[in-house]
Amino acid sequence: MKYVIALAAIFFLTAFSSSALSYGRLWGVRPDLLLVFVACWAALRGQGEAMVVAPLAGFLRDLMTSDPVGTSALALAPIVLLAAYREFNPTDLQFLPALALVAVGTLAYGIISMTVLTAVGYNVPWYDALLRHLVPAVLLNVLVTPAIYLPLRWFTAATVPVSPTRIGPTVRL
Amino acid sequence: MVRMLWWLLAVAGVSILGILLSQQRALDPVQNLTLLAASPLEAGLFDLGEPVADFFGGIVNRGELVRENRQLREEVERLQAELAQQEDAALRIQELEGLLEVKKGRPQQTLLVAEVIAQDPGGVKEAIAIDRGAQDGLEEGMVVLSEGASLVGTVTRVLDDFSWVTLVTDPDSAVNAQVLLADSLARGVASGDLRNSLLLDMVPSEADLEEGALVTTSGLGGNYPRALLIGSVVAVDERPQALFQKATLEPAADLSRLETVLVLTSFIPARLQGP
Repeated sequence: MKYVIALAAIFFLTAFSSSALSYGRLWGVRPDLLLVFVACWAALRGQGEAMVVAPLAGFLRDLMTSDPVGTSALALAPIVLLAAYREFNPTDLQFLPALALVAVGTLAYGIISMTVLTAVGYNVPWYDALLRHLVPAVLLNVLVTPAIYLPLRWFTAATVPVSPTRIGPTVRL
Repeated sequence: MVRMLWWLLAVAGVSILGILLSQQRALDPVQNLTLLAASPLEAGLFDLGEPVADFFGGIVNRGELVRENRQLREEVERLQAELAQQEDAALRIQELEGLLEVKKGRPQQTLLVAEVIAQDPGGVKEAIAIDRGAQDGLEEGMVVLSEGASLVGTVTRVLDDFSWVTLVTDPDSAVNAQVLLADSLARGVASGDLRNSLLLDMVPSEADLEEGALVTTSGLGGNYPRALLIGSVVAVDERPQALFQKATLEPAADLSRLETVLVLTSFIPARLQGP
């Protein structure tokens, strides 16, 4: 059921990003809500679930945009790898790690997708793309993270059972 | 750790296979089906997004002004397009009279109206999806215009029911252009630029570029008809020692708010013509 909800959210966010959000540019870029969603999902619900959600998000996004199918799945993979930090994180405080995951994930996503586009013959102006697109995109994605993180945290609290291996709210054995 | 490695290999393998299949157009039917399913939602969100954007774009009740401003912009754009065509026509008559050649009329243009259903959310690419595809007779390379008849871009990917149009502001786009000067033309190349949106390059240094000058397609290369309005010069990058000048252009059409576009189906670009 959780993956059906994730799929519906991915579908909606992709449609929203390519329609209503096309009006909303800040610093010349638009927030990547899907990337933020995948990063927050990985931060809040763990690497195991992110291993399913990230490729789903990537492939669905590419089917609805002009990128070659597979580009986004590949570009979102680093978020899943980085989510391994959660296994070693002794606290339940996930917001700051989620912000870090969004920032690093945006950088990795941009570099990988531009590499793929270059490989298939698209003319990517690397210097301008890094400086004028990727850096503002990192800041903007971090800024919009709470808008995705908070509902997802509520959803996680409502669906994930309390682990018996935890003592209190913040310490994991 | 081993599970992670297997996962990574699987995702990388499937992704690379997907990219290769995409390049071969093998996944076009799946993309068409996905867009078919998403287009009603996207159309609704587009309609929803416009007033919200108007609201946040200004102070209270400024949406009406924004809309009025847009109408005026479209009117100006239409008039600029007409002016550009008239100026170009006058210069062309002069050229042809000078060369004692017979005037070759442009065939009547046939346009197909298309609605914009999506805009590529990726930051580097500037592309829009329209609700016309191969079943409507669209082919890759066809020229797309705004409602005011200025250049929007080129059809670059055609699915059965939809097409992706690469905008003139895309970094991968380059159009042979000409600047309409007081008594002459200066040729150059208008290309998309992440920094300046639209950049005019390769203009001979002796050309007297000035702000406000209109820029149209030159028709060179045969991929675009002559005298389609691209935009106007907003800044000239003066470099005394350089062989060529550069200028920043403002596109005539408001490319961030396209709702309806026109596909020029009667013009067959050189790249679509046989040998």
